[in-house]
Amino acid sequence: MDVLRDQNWLLSLGTFLPLAGVVIMLFIPKRDEESAKLVALVTAIATVAVGAYTLVKFDYGQSAKLQFFTSHDWIRPIRATYTLGLDGISLPLYFLSMVITLLVIIYSWDHIPSPGNAKAFLMLMLVLQTGMAGTFVAQDLILFFVFFEVVLLPMYFMIGVWGGEQRQYASLKFFLYTMFGSALMLVSFIALFIVTKGNTAEGGSFAFSWFQAHGPEIAKTTAIWIFAGMFVGFAVKVPMFPFHTWLPDAHTQAPTQGSVILAAILLKLGTYGFVRIAIPFLPQAAVKWAPAIAVLACIGIIYGALGCLAQTDMKRLIAFSSVAHMGFVMLGIATLTPLGVNAAVFGMVAHGLITGMLFFLAGSVKERYHTLEIRRLSGMLKQIPRLGWILGFCAMASLGLPGLAGFWGEFPAIISSWNPAQALVGDGKLDLFRVLTVVAALGTVLAAGYLLWLYQRTAFGEPNPEFTSHGSGAHSLSAAANHGDDHGSDLHDVNTYEWIAWTPLLIAIVVFGVYPQLMFKVIDPAVTNLMRVFGK
Amino acid sequence: MISALVASDFATPHVDYHALAPEIVLGVGICLLIVLDLFLAESRKWLVSTVAGLILLGAVLPVVTLGVIGSDVRSMFDGRYVIDNFSLVLKALFLLSGYVVVLMSSRDTEERTPYQGEYYTLLLTSIMGMVMMASARDLVSVFVALEFLSIPAYMLAAWRKRDSKSNEAGMKYFLLGVFASAVMLYGMSLLYGVTGSTRLVDIGQAVTGTDHLVGVQVLGIVFVIVGFAFKVSAVPFHTWAPDVYQGAPTPITAFLSVASKAAGFVALSLLVFLAFPAAKSVYEPFLWVLAAVTITVGNLLALKQKNIVRMLAYSSVSQGGFILMPLAVAGTGDARTSLRAVVVYLIIYAATNLGAFAVVMAVSRKTHSGEIASYGGLFNYAPGLAAVMTLFLASLAGIPPFGGWYAKFGAFKAVLEARTGAAYTLAVIAAVNTVVSAAYYITLMREMWMKPAPDGDESPVRVPRNLVAALVITGVATLAFGVLPGFSGYGAITGLAGAFGR
Amino acid sequence: MWVNNFLILGAILFCIGVYGVIARKNAVMVLMAIELILNSVNLNLLAFSQMHHNADGNVFALYIIAVAAAEVGVGLSMVLLIYRNRRSIALDELSEMKG
Repeated sequence: MDVLRDQNWLLSLGTFLPLAGVVIMLFIPKRDEESAKLVALVTAIATVAVGAYTLVKFDYGQSAKLQFFTSHDWIRPIRATYTLGLDGISLPLYFLSMVITLLVIIYSWDHIPSPGNAKAFLMLMLVLQTGMAGTFVAQDLILFFVFFEVVLLPMYFMIGVWGGEQRQYASLKFFLYTMFGSALMLVSFIALFIVTKGNTAEGGSFAFSWFQAHGPEIAKTTAIWIFAGMFVGFAVKVPMFPFHTWLPDAHTQAPTQGSVILAAILLKLGTYGFVRIAIPFLPQAAVKWAPAIAVLACIGIIYGALGCLAQTDMKRLIAFSSVAHMGFVMLGIATLTPLGVNAAVFGMVAHGLITGMLFFLAGSVKERYHTLEIRRLSGMLKQIPRLGWILGFCAMASLGLPGLAGFWGEFPAIISSWNPAQALVGDGKLDLFRVLTVVAALGTVLAAGYLLWLYQRTAFGEPNPEFTSHGSGAHSLSAAANHGDDHGSDLHDVNTYEWIAWTPLLIAIVVFGVYPQLMFKVIDPAVTNLMRVFGK
Repeated sequence: MISALVASDFATPHVDYHALAPEIVLGVGICLLIVLDLFLAESRKWLVSTVAGLILLGAVLPVVTLGVIGSDVRSMFDGRYVIDNFSLVLKALFLLSGYVVVLMSSRDTEERTPYQGEYYTLLLTSIMGMVMMASARDLVSVFVALEFLSIPAYMLAAWRKRDSKSNEAGMKYFLLGVFASAVMLYGMSLLYGVTGSTRLVDIGQAVTGTDHLVGVQVLGIVFVIVGFAFKVSAVPFHTWAPDVYQGAPTPITAFLSVASKAAGFVALSLLVFLAFPAAKSVYEPFLWVLAAVTITVGNLLALKQKNIVRMLAYSSVSQGGFILMPLAVAGTGDARTSLRAVVVYLIIYAATNLGAFAVVMAVSRKTHSGEIASYGGLFNYAPGLAAVMTLFLASLAGIPPFGGWYAKFGAFKAVLEARTGAAYTLAVIAAVNTVVSAAYYITLMREMWMKPAPDGDESPVRVPRNLVAALVITGVATLAFGVLPGFSGYGAITGLAGAFGR
Repeated sequence: MWVNNFLILGAILFCIGVYGVIARKNAVMVLMAIELILNSVNLNLLAFSQMHHNADGNVFALYIIAVAAAEVGVGLSMVLLIYRNRRSIALDELSEMKG
């Protein structure tokens, strides 16, 4: 495979730099929270700097090729290699993971969730970062698997230790679902390896390039079974419809930082797995599976939207909206067309930016009002106008308003499902996909419905009297009537740390909304390269 | 009479002293230890544990030199005692895990028993049996090594003389162990009857499971496997394990669950790869069922345990099922891959499980309880212990980047290599089971990280230095096996000498 | 055909031994039953040794006799230990740990 090997140390540095921070933090006493935060922040900044350097050095003319490519022997007896590489699909996700981690650490500066212990919290965050970045640059199936799993434990502890009331239940559910998926995934990875290497005792390889070359040669029935294992593994992570039930619980119970990372990056590990591994390695099985995936994706879109309408908790609503949005991403992937997959990759990034931002907002609302019950929140625009406006902005972005980033993930995905790949048309699945187009379009209407309804209920109207001051009900009621802009004393508007953490996301949402080509031109060559197997 | 002997061409058997050096060091060391114990004043008995540790490390030395100097197979006594890469790796494993057990014991025995000299003598004797097992290539030497390692272990399990639980543990272990070896011997006698030889390689050529005397062959194979199934506590022969593990002193529990179990698996692999290779139609279905049942039942029983040692006992039963998996496809799959998977699993499992028991010991010094609920709040008052315990549990559950994932990976790969429907089914059963096992490992993690201390007592745990050393050794090993499994040297195991046409 | 007789005797002894281990509740009786199994093994080995005209079986039997003696030594001492602590050697009373 065609690769560029310049500066091949760059990806290793970017991936493992956070671990260096973790090692330093080990030696900081637990009570010295300031130093722990400082080290974490410096590490995250350094990581983003490495990421930015990667952005600069990336050869945009050849984004279909793996760049900064490095490959070494890793576990020789099982033919696993340490192979890293970055192409147009990985680049945005890789950089996004770094930026989100930095922003989350900035946000943590004065938002360490109960029961405290900033040191452990930030260490877990940095370990997470290594796992996420590594997953996006790994070019070897075993390496991918290891990175994919590295995120599991830190996230489990983040939800379980720093989460809400039901944190233990939620974290356990998250853990077991993911574990189930990855166990079957590992089995199918090994099966794929064994089937592709033929009857020789030695030989074969776990490198992605090997599977790209030899995966399509596998007999169809075998391939379908192997795909099934991968499907479960990735679909749990996405999450797709029947496997999604861990998500609302995990999101609702996780601390703000955890929710943001979960929404912005961890869910993308699943869709990335489909784009990078399941579909290009097993195209013959993908054609058979695509209709099922598309149907499940559309069920997810509608189900997520209806779920949103039924929620009384703001955070849980955002979580369900993730199910719907990831449905669009999966629909794009299931079309097996370059357009659909482009939309999917764009949708991943956009969803990461927007939903990550929404979870930040939910966290800040919770911090101010000590509740996320939609019924009790109202009049945010009057009480904390800046936060209210940002919430409105993000709701608009999330429902797919043209001109903001969310639009470019959903709209092309719907368009592409009208014309799925030639192989699917040949299978007589054209009608099915066209029906799904309509269903998905309906989903966007529902999305507009629940987001606007959420916004209307929380931001408009008069502030709920119970939050207008610290005093008792009757007193605060009169106070609210007399001075509409008299805030409760703990209802401060967006503070400095929040501004620093949020501004980059808000800017990115606008920039990618106005000029999506900025990202599409990076993604497209790589996607086209991967989707070559389906012709057209 | 004498003239008859002289007339026959009796050749003195060739003895390779370098190859036997680990056993010689151990044997001499054991004698030294007994004598030393006699002449030491009561106040200086702690020296015994130090010397025992040194003897074990001293025995590792020749293992290393044997590994470095020449990779050739050293065969003695007509091929009945063989030193090859396989046996060297396992000898090192037994000696080093023995060393960790000594580290774990020295504090425990100081506090609880006056019989230091006897304790370490028996421990070393048992390890010597294991070291011999790795080289045994004959039914007689397998049997002698097995008894050599078992008999001291029976006594060690009953070590707390006044504790009725420990008595019970010892008695159960003894009776079931002896019964199992008697059944195994009956099977061995049948195998000898069929083949006319006790050498494993000869048996391998004669036992095919198809031609004449099929019934006797099947009986022999099944009896022998059942005997070792007791030793490795495979379901349904596992009933002794939880009771013995709970009743025995904790370092001995660690020792039994790791080294003794590993020795059983070594013997089982010797038989499967050397003595039964042509009889795969007999042993494969049998081991398949054993493996599937062992993994599943072990996990399900572990789920409901409230005592940490019993939970680890059932977990080790289920882990044993994973080690049986590659053996269940040794004939149809790739024999090399299977053998390597077994050895790799044993090594990683040893490091991880010893570490987990070391943490159990450290925590029980403060809480004096074996209940899982007593681990609440550990993360708050002993974050280091909680972190290493998490590492070990994650490794047992098979989560990268800790060693256990590679062990499980190897087992899965060996099974899938067989490419039969039965093999795929077994792999899926095992995959589902990893999730079940994760559920109880995670229960303990949850207790440590997310629950408050049960009695509100958050005073720190004082971990003695030898335990810290044990934790560091096992922790580093667990992590290293997970991150860089390729560099740990067991890639060198290309096969058993005598098997795979080598 | 004489070897058959030894084998049949061995098999009968083995079965009696296994029955004894399973059915008896007294620790000493169980130990004796195990000895019966070991003796059936010895009988088998000696008969096969004669049949094959080689000494492997004889050697094996000698080892078994020696090891069995050691086992019984340990076993009886353990029985004594339990008798001292409980004044009983009934195996079904050894059930403190369950689960």
